[in-house]
Amino acid sequence: MKLANDPEIEKFVADYLAFADEHMPTAEEASERPRSCSHMPDWARRWQRTLFDAGWLLPGNPPEYGGRNATLPQLLAQQEEMSRRGIYHSFNPQGVGIIAASILTFGTEEQKKKWAVPILRAEMTASLGMSEPGAGSDLAGLRTRAVLDGDHFVVNGQKVWTSGAHDADVLLTFVRTDPDAPKHKGISVLLIPTDTEGVVCRPFPSMTREDDIDFNEVFFTDARVPRENLIGELNKGWTVANGSLGHERTMLWIGYADQLQDLIRDAPSDSEWYATLQMDLQALRLLGYEQLSGGKNPATISMLKMFGSEAIQRATWHALEERGQEALIHPARTAPYNHMDHDAFSASWFERYSRSFPGTIAGGTSEIHRNIIAERILGLPR
Amino acid sequence: MEFEFDEDQRLLQQSVRETLAKTRALPEEELWATYTELGWLEAPPVELAIVLDELGYVADPTPFLATATWFAPLAGRLPAGSGAGVFDGAGRFVLDADRADEVALLTSKGVQVVSGAEIDAERIVAFDSRLHLAHVRADGHQLAAGVPDLALMGLAATTVGACRRILDLVVTHVKQRHQFGVPIGSFQAVKHKAADMYVAIERARVLAYFAALTIAEDDPRRRRAALMAKAAAGDCQQVVYRNGFQLFGAMGFTWENELHIYLKRALAGDLLLGSATVHKKALLALGAEAASATPGGTTPPNPPEKVTV
Repeated sequence: MKLANDPEIEKFVADYLAFADEHMPTAEEASERPRSCSHMPDWARRWQRTLFDAGWLLPGNPPEYGGRNATLPQLLAQQEEMSRRGIYHSFNPQGVGIIAASILTFGTEEQKKKWAVPILRAEMTASLGMSEPGAGSDLAGLRTRAVLDGDHFVVNGQKVWTSGAHDADVLLTFVRTDPDAPKHKGISVLLIPTDTEGVVCRPFPSMTREDDIDFNEVFFTDARVPRENLIGELNKGWTVANGSLGHERTMLWIGYADQLQDLIRDAPSDSEWYATLQMDLQALRLLGYEQLSGGKNPATISMLKMFGSEAIQRATWHALEERGQEALIHPARTAPYNHMDHDAFSASWFERYSRSFPGTIAGGTSEIHRNIIAERILGLPR
Repeated sequence: MEFEFDEDQRLLQQSVRETLAKTRALPEEELWATYTELGWLEAPPVELAIVLDELGYVADPTPFLATATWFAPLAGRLPAGSGAGVFDGAGRFVLDADRADEVALLTSKGVQVVSGAEIDAERIVAFDSRLHLAHVRADGHQLAAGVPDLALMGLAATTVGACRRILDLVVTHVKQRHQFGVPIGSFQAVKHKAADMYVAIERARVLAYFAALTIAEDDPRRRRAALMAKAAAGDCQQVVYRNGFQLFGAMGFTWENELHIYLKRALAGDLLLGSATVHKKALLALGAEAASATPGGTTPPNPPEKVTV
């Protein structure tokens, strides 16, 4: 155990910050705001491409995929610095963090060139089609069907909660390719361009504001998808789901730590909860470092996700409650404007509190994560 | 930072566990002799936290905690034999003052070390009957207040250890205990309570070790970290006591079952030197550590719609 970082890590971060200071879009350039998680204004595309080309987008990747073969401690230090300054690298975060990452892990060389690199260079944006009306926490119960017909899959079914789909160029879609196999075993993953005939996106607003349009229902009616768009092996989609989501989750806590840090800044209080908030942030960071240093039960990621999202929910509730009737005002801004950050993080207390619920619902509900902790860490019977 | 044990620390943890597993039936004097022979009292802060975590796990009956974390940080040395420290300005509820060979007093004139025989220490009967607590009268000394960071960390680590023991006992129990034809640990309501115990312990554990690390490196954050550690141990105790007791069912309410030994140690660990609430207030009095987190000086291109901060 030691507190200080190695000098080479400090240098890595300093190099990154020098680059960011030189190339980061100005507030004036960034005045057009992203309206969904797959909508990228030109300035956001330019910024992501600049980062990719210089090897700073995903520094852990090799240079051809936007990186510089950085080590995990280097990545962590960089992420923390980005978090501290509220710098977003991509305004298509699931495209970069999940979809391109899945293609790089499970795709062919051709797929990496055709899809992953354009997503990473922000030439196209991507959304993730997993949940269905009947498949939420029980994701493996998904029913969207894909039937092989010659060199195409024919896709029929429906996805929901597909964030940003109406603005996306392509959807990474989990489909059932073997209806007779046990439910985890008959799933495959297809990249489906949104302009494919038979694909219809119907966006719908969240409860926060009627003009907050990110979620979609996506309907597939005899949509023909080239067989070459299959990512990973046929009927091995569950491996891709675990791989890609697991990949994302290892660093998810950094985003939660970021939000807790924002709350410390935005809601100073002399009540006890404010001390709890500071302790939650410190503990989350320490648990995150420990988890990244390896050797921990992979199920500890469930703890980080649940603990971080619930800590945010508790703190935003207290911040809201302390403001009393003033908290009725909405929309409102409750934090300094930062053009490189997501606008939702500076929205009204009502919105910040309400947006903590996707944190405790999406990506596995807190209830599911408690089951995982109890079963896979404590060894309680299923 | 690197927040994982190095090889030596891992080996120490393993050897402390093995030693305590073998010695648990020994009388206090022999336990004390074992600990001193193994040099545990001389352990630097992180290593000391490792030892105390394990001593909490066995609800250690010796004056180790008081000697290493109440006496030593005041006196700046280890005592001849066992030690106690008085630093609350009043001499109330002093750990092991009734049986210490040497007692360090924080006074208005600095620290004075006296022999145990020189002070008047009246033992308090506490719900944790293994715990030695005493009210101290030190005539001729003007006592002053100033709790050492190490004492806060020490109680935090000990409490975490006791809570870990409670969780282990509970997990074993809910796997074995059958009702309605199944182990009660298969019920989701039980799982969720156990999972919350685990998370509370993990939160308190990392904060205790972080406090130890900042003390070891004499980092400027050490006071804040020590307050956080003590408060988190208290938070942890609340969840672990409540859920642990509840999940154990009626068996946990008996004297024969060992659960109560650890429940009491955990609850006492929260109350001693002040509960979680007290330490959260102290943390608030230090002010938030926010300056570095404020995003750099960009001017908003559009004025805020409405500020409700």
